[in-house]
Amino acid sequence: MFYRQAAIRHTSYDQTKKLYPIPFDKWLVVAVLLVALLAPFAMSGLYLNSYLLPWVIWSTAALSLNLLMGYAGQIHLGYAAVMAIGAYSSVHAMRLGAPFEFALILGGATAMIIGVGFGFTALRVKGLYLAISTLAVQYLVDWVLTHVPAIGGGTQATLQTPTPALLGFEITTDIGRYYLALGWCAVVTIFMLNVKRTGLGRALIAVREKDYAASVLGVNSYYYKLIAFAVSSFFGGVTGAILAFTFFGAVTPEQYSIDISIQILAMVVVGGLGSVLGSFFGAGFILLAPLFLNNMVTGLAEAYDFGVSRSVISHIPLILYGGLIMLFLLFEPLGLAKIYDNIRKYFLVWPFGFSRR
Amino acid sequence: MKKSLAVLASILIIFSGTAVSDEKPPIKYGLTLDYTKSYVFATPSVSQAIEDYRNYLNARGGINGHKLEILNSDHGNEPQRGIEAYERKKREGAIVFEHFSTPVSKAVLPKAMKDKNVLLQTLTGRSDAADGEAFPYAFPIAPTYWAMAANIIQYIENNTKDIKKTKIAFTYLDFPFGQEPIPVLQELQKQLGFELKLFPIALPGTDQSGVWSGIRRFKPDYVVAWSISSLHNIALTEMTRNRIPIEKYISVVWASRLDLKSFGHERAKGVKRVEAVATGTEIPIIQEILKMYDEGKGAGPRENVGTVYYMGGIAEMSILVEGAKLALNQFGEPLTGEKLKKGLELIRDFDANGVMAPVTITSSDHQGGGKTRIAEWDGEKWAPITDWEAAHTELVWKTIKEHSAKFIKENQ
Repeated sequence: MFYRQAAIRHTSYDQTKKLYPIPFDKWLVVAVLLVALLAPFAMSGLYLNSYLLPWVIWSTAALSLNLLMGYAGQIHLGYAAVMAIGAYSSVHAMRLGAPFEFALILGGATAMIIGVGFGFTALRVKGLYLAISTLAVQYLVDWVLTHVPAIGGGTQATLQTPTPALLGFEITTDIGRYYLALGWCAVVTIFMLNVKRTGLGRALIAVREKDYAASVLGVNSYYYKLIAFAVSSFFGGVTGAILAFTFFGAVTPEQYSIDISIQILAMVVVGGLGSVLGSFFGAGFILLAPLFLNNMVTGLAEAYDFGVSRSVISHIPLILYGGLIMLFLLFEPLGLAKIYDNIRKYFLVWPFGFSRR
Repeated sequence: MKKSLAVLASILIIFSGTAVSDEKPPIKYGLTLDYTKSYVFATPSVSQAIEDYRNYLNARGGINGHKLEILNSDHGNEPQRGIEAYERKKREGAIVFEHFSTPVSKAVLPKAMKDKNVLLQTLTGRSDAADGEAFPYAFPIAPTYWAMAANIIQYIENNTKDIKKTKIAFTYLDFPFGQEPIPVLQELQKQLGFELKLFPIALPGTDQSGVWSGIRRFKPDYVVAWSISSLHNIALTEMTRNRIPIEKYISVVWASRLDLKSFGHERAKGVKRVEAVATGTEIPIIQEILKMYDEGKGAGPRENVGTVYYMGGIAEMSILVEGAKLALNQFGEPLTGEKLKKGLELIRDFDANGVMAPVTITSSDHQGGGKTRIAEWDGEKWAPITDWEAAHTELVWKTIKEHSAKFIKENQ
């Protein structure tokens, strides 16, 4: 009934290679896109600015990290630092008079160069050792931001972002900033959806599964690991800049701290490694669940006097949040995207569920 | 029938009308604090103080008949959560906000300025927000770290025979909080000629052994410490191990009675700190609040009452309430962020119910005078050993202006 597969024939390569062979999937994506496009007109400033906008941006960040972690299998614990490099470079570039579009690309390029520099460690070490060496990026960047006034902006370590302008039009409204973030998110999403269908994507997946097996097959694993670091860092850098320009309006080291690195990592893992949809789910869950839980518990505490102190009440959402992460991962270790996939597979053959067995 | 209904309805309207006019709308205060991450050493006391003061105030009729309503929640020291809380509370009608976290205050500042809502940021956020011309809606009210550093140097100057021969070690946590006073210290070194050496402590600051052996070799006359909470214990332990008398230790405001507990209250005798608020339970307002505790109506544990963080909360609330009163008297109902800003700027020589040095806020000075005093731990309490004073104010203001000028330039 849903996900109708009638009249889908696999008679040519073009048909088989389609991104969404099932029309329902395609229309679902179109519907979500329409909702995303129309949302700012139906939403209050509160939900647009502090829920939808950060969700879009953090999803983009999770997608970019997913390229590296999900597709190429290289763990990265300092991704917020990569975003910081992009953000600070583009802010500096704009201050020096570069147009916004150019500043964004420059931010991405700087992040790419530094990201690849650290990516070289990936050629030598794997797994936990790589995790530690990427953690070094985080600490080095944090140190530079707080100790080099020319980059970090002096004792306050804060730089206000100039007003972004796309093709000469200044973006000053909330809706404009949202569309800017959404546009960048769409670019990264389309790239991520399609990369799997290219030689690059297949090579990355080969490297992820076993790098020396990939070498045996003629895939240069060194080259593709560096490509993964480069592309992912470029996306991360631009996303970091978008985050600064559209959401915070300023850059400070705390916005790109180790906590954020861990959060983005958690988004990728909770959402589902290597899944585009999962990045959106993961970002939504890691970013928005604390907000909802916090508001829920605060609301309850105001309605019913629990007779406990504010600090105790503030810790309840954390307990619930931790519990939820554990529950989700126990229920489906492959992440939130897999939960959706299970539901989809159920409806794919519904009401003839017995045919799956 | 219809007629009687109409009569009934009009009676109801009249009654409800009078009920509304009796009860003035509450003034809403958006209080989003970090109850769960970095500031937990202070947040519970601050929050307790604010809630106690609200209860005290509302039991006495509020501010000109307006009850003070606090919209309280947690932001976990995360800027994006702070922004969400700010936007939510703004929608719920809050006109004044406090976040008590530097990252969150920095993130909210541009939004509050745009929305013309008052942002209180006692001891957190950008220090140059003391410049009311550059930051019209930000009110640090407390002395900046620059002012504290200058006042500490003044104390040292007053207490040594020859400032030119004095050696001062400055030990600080190596991130913006600790680095901030350095330019002021270096400028004062140039002016006064004392010897200054910097000893950065790498984050998270739990290992300070290398730092303190360096300080021992430097043989300082005073050690000025920009450190926080339990890290003082580590510093004091290292001082004892290196046989540096702990009387030489002068801390920034972030040292409380509870912080010294694990080093030992008796052992810590002689440790000094700079303070912006008076502490202890003898102050009349605290006596009044303690009466609420006697009735079992306190907002938290009794031993927090009178500690430095608690008193910080009381001071801030006293100033806020005074500003709101002045605003209502001068500019009339209803109270808005803009009026409250102007009201706060009318405060002249107000001692925050005896908790602070007399504070004067003007449209250009949101620091409130920058007066501090030095207190010494006598084994049981912090005993003030100097009067309230503000030293080297020209230098402090020069530094504030330098930084705020950068902000103004960035925003053009």
